[in-house]
Amino acid sequence: MKTGVLDMDIGDILEEDLIELDMSAATKDEAIKNLAALLYQKGNVTDKEAFIQDVYLREAEGQTGLGSGIAIPHGKSDAVSVTSIAVGRTKKDLAWESLDDLPVHVVILFAVRNVDKTTIHLKLLSQVAAALADDDVLERLLHTDDKAEVIRLLSNKM
Amino acid sequence: MNIIGITACTAGIAHTYIAKEKLVKAAQARGHWAKIETQGTIGVEDELTAEDVAKADVVIIAADIGVRGKERFEGKKIVEVATSIVIKSPNVLLDKLEEKLGK
Repeated sequence: MKTGVLDMDIGDILEEDLIELDMSAATKDEAIKNLAALLYQKGNVTDKEAFIQDVYLREAEGQTGLGSGIAIPHGKSDAVSVTSIAVGRTKKDLAWESLDDLPVHVVILFAVRNVDKTTIHLKLLSQVAAALADDDVLERLLHTDDKAEVIRLLSNKM
Repeated sequence: MNIIGITACTAGIAHTYIAKEKLVKAAQARGHWAKIETQGTIGVEDELTAEDVAKADVVIIAADIGVRGKERFEGKKIVEVATSIVIKSPNVLLDKLEEKLGK
């Protein structure tokens, strides 16, 4: 089911330079730091450390591993200037608190502005989340080598 | 059967919407009608109407926090679970409901 997002462009929150399909991270912490660094370089996060802290605040509230090798950590933070998503994939098994207790390979980090209420960006995030309800999407995310396909998969438009 | 429900998670950013999609997809695949209201950071979406409630056989509340507007479901069969249950195994939950309600 589509979420009724008509005129919005997923490209507003997800760009190819925020996707890394061959990340060297070997731990959850390294993965989060790598992706936070991408967001920082892009200018979407203004304070890397503060953002990472807020991501861990959310981690403390409950598991963000969805199962099937995918995790969706998210930080709602004053350190975020542009609500956006960074995606990283690792060859190595990342130990992560997950619904199926299996290791994670794809990390989809949501960076959310604290002041964003009822904006288009939050709507787009919910659209990406909805895309993750599809097992085929999860499976493709684990294997595709095409960043454009990652964006397509997460845009919930098949 | 006719299923309505509400999803809501702590941050209201991701799990709320994944849980909704999982539930709707699984229900539709099994031939049920389903409408799920989300209560997230962007507010309430797909709000359940009095009509929706009237025709519902069961209400599924998949939430990690308190949800608003439960009084709408007075007299209805209500199942309350965490969002993780719906995200992990929506079909197990629906199996149980079908068995219990015989529909």
